[in-house]
Amino acid sequence: MAAGLVPDETRALVGQVLSEPVTATITAKESQRYALAADDLNPLYFDEEAAKGAGYRTLVVPPLFLGWALGPFRPITELRTDGLYKGGGRRVNLNVKRVMFGGEEWDFLAPIYAGDTITAETRLKALDEKDGSSGPFVLQSTETSYTNQHGETVARSRGLSIAR
Amino acid sequence: MSAQLYIDDVAIGTEMPAVTRNASRAQLFLFSAATNNPHRIHYDREYAAEEGHPDVLVHGPLQGAWLHQYVAGWAGPLGRVAGLRWQNRGRAYPERDHVFRGRVTSVGEGGLVELEITEEDDTGQVLVPATATVRLPSKPTGEASA
Repeated sequence: MAAGLVPDETRALVGQVLSEPVTATITAKESQRYALAADDLNPLYFDEEAAKGAGYRTLVVPPLFLGWALGPFRPITELRTDGLYKGGGRRVNLNVKRVMFGGEEWDFLAPIYAGDTITAETRLKALDEKDGSSGPFVLQSTETSYTNQHGETVARSRGLSIAR
Repeated sequence: MSAQLYIDDVAIGTEMPAVTRNASRAQLFLFSAATNNPHRIHYDREYAAEEGHPDVLVHGPLQGAWLHQYVAGWAGPLGRVAGLRWQNRGRAYPERDHVFRGRVTSVGEGGLVELEITEEDDTGQVLVPATATVRLPSKPTGEASA
């Protein structure tokens, strides 16, 4: 059976906040820079009249930019040799050799507009121990909620990873 | 941009037109910069080899962005993407074609449509299986037929 991959002290983190909430104001320029880098020329992100014509208040932010707009923004000295930032926040310690990114799930609940101030908070959602054909593994999911300056939750994302 | 799609235009089994995406190495650089992602597997081929990759990799999140564009483009400006769910199962490389295909799996109340989507590489391997939920508008009453 799949026992022992999740230490008790890690199990106790389920439902807990993994890092302090972060807040940032998303400008039209950085939102458009993301859209251009993704080769996404949707007029909703660039043309205010087009956005209004489609029922929006003003320029829309590509919703997946939420995952990047709030950082991390950290000093060069906090880069590892692979280029990634050293871990911030609370570590989810598991008795495993490697963790693979598994996928993402997003609920888009309200439009995100250029100029919105968004607060993100990430919690450890679940640690499910499973038995696979190549041995036991843990399905780990974290959930981030994104709230705008009016207190409205505009999106929720779940990050899935497989630890074995 | 294509004409607006309405809820009356779709049914279970309706196919989404396929879309092909191909990222240049310069685009990978721009996407790394725009997302503040310094991971070397996306721009340093020698380093990518150290992690066991034969070339630099297209970011999983860029494929996520392509997926969102595929769904939002199909739904049109009056459509709303309510949810996206995807798994990253294989490596995607620059300068290679990636084909998105999808079909309608359910049509519900209030214009809600469920989609099943795949992103395949140029060998036919599914790199990303995905599902999406979109809300399509009803045709305005009294609109002259096209």
